[in-house]
Amino acid sequence: MTFDWSIIQTHAGELLQGTELTIMLAVATMAIAIPGGIILALLRLSGSRILAAISASFTEFFRNLPLILVIYAAYYMLPLAFDFAFSPIVTALIALSLNVSAYNGETFRAGIASIRRGQSEAALALGMSRFQAMREVILPQAIRRVLPVLASTWVSLFKDTSLVSVIAVGDLAYTSMRIRSQTFRVLEMLTAMAAIYWMLGYPQAKLVDWLNRRTGISE
Amino acid sequence: MTTPMLDYVNVAKRFGDFVALSGVSMQVHPGQVVCLIGPSGSGKSTLLRCTNGLELIDGGEIKLAGKTMPRDPRGMRAVRQRMGMVFQNFELFPHRTALANIMSGPLTVLRLSRADAEQRATALLAKVGLSDKAASYPANLSGGQQQRVAIARALAMQPDIMLFDEPTSALDPETIGEVLNVMKQLAEEGMTMLVVTHEMNFARRVADHVVVFERGAIIEQGPPKQIFEAPLVERTRDFLSHLGWEG
Repeated sequence: MTFDWSIIQTHAGELLQGTELTIMLAVATMAIAIPGGIILALLRLSGSRILAAISASFTEFFRNLPLILVIYAAYYMLPLAFDFAFSPIVTALIALSLNVSAYNGETFRAGIASIRRGQSEAALALGMSRFQAMREVILPQAIRRVLPVLASTWVSLFKDTSLVSVIAVGDLAYTSMRIRSQTFRVLEMLTAMAAIYWMLGYPQAKLVDWLNRRTGISE
Repeated sequence: MTTPMLDYVNVAKRFGDFVALSGVSMQVHPGQVVCLIGPSGSGKSTLLRCTNGLELIDGGEIKLAGKTMPRDPRGMRAVRQRMGMVFQNFELFPHRTALANIMSGPLTVLRLSRADAEQRATALLAKVGLSDKAASYPANLSGGQQQRVAIARALAMQPDIMLFDEPTSALDPETIGEVLNVMKQLAEEGMTMLVVTHEMNFARRVADHVVVFERGAIIEQGPPKQIFEAPLVERTRDFLSHLGWEG
């Protein structure tokens, strides 16, 4: 069996574009899913039974479905629901955001619950409203505390974006697979794809380790 | 006689089956320092927490300057702005510097400009003797320093009354003095203070009125001279002698 590694070089431009889309998709998803997660957590802790139930149902629904199913469902059902065809990228972004928001919601909820009661009492005693106490005192501490968890969610998300290739979003995974089927250089393309994901993912994983160590010391 | 700053009438509080307070009646007059003493779990801290609405009372009445304490969130917020509270565990905000902690109330609640809030905070930091710690985070301050910052944070709201909930109980012995000195200075300036404490020397020297709690009820109250030198109630004497107090 002979290898033809030049195939990677000839398709470098496409691979780069795919990589860019993968990064963009992950960043955009997190940019939606962090506020999304905070909102889910606040609803869950709002003290209103109805709001808490809505948040809990949303979270348990999307957290316990395979992501690939959510992506397919978004692809087939969003156009029916809205009578409008979203582009594959937007569809992918919606599906990923639903999934990651559900995870982040649980993360933030745990973070908020971990801040001791005296902190919100101190804020209330100054005359702050419950909302102000949350915004000024509880959330800033909770976010700091869950940073390592958010970072490891990010690393998972970065790799999971590859699942959107099933609805023909031209991310790194989709692009690699497309080049593979055009050129039949299977092992070369899989290797290239693995190398790119790994080289991008490894520093992120190390960053998570570092964050974990750092928060471990300060608490 | 002037209207009391705080007037407790038959206050009752339960936690489930546990009676935390029953039939508590006492008054705090403007400019007075009132110390609440008694064994742990006797209801002193609960009374303090009921005073600013961190706990809601189940019976009786608490009046602030003649007006019954509101129970709605907006009304309670207005009341809390007039009461500074100092906690046993300081409860400084760990993500903010000493100066920013003191600015929290003025900025968020009073909506002061950043410059005004900073000016006020700087002056208070000087007052508690910590001007050099403005940029320090709570984690880098000693317990005594943290508690002094916490006092300054409460004072930044310019309250009518200060509530102290065992302010020195979590401190190392060598830093208790610096906190008590700040409190004594406040008392001398005429601040109205309600202090839950186990520091009998502080109560005897600084208080105008001492209230002895046991099992959720007041067993005796009066001037410190009476409580510490000639208690009318046997159980007051028992409590004080348990602490090694010889009078």
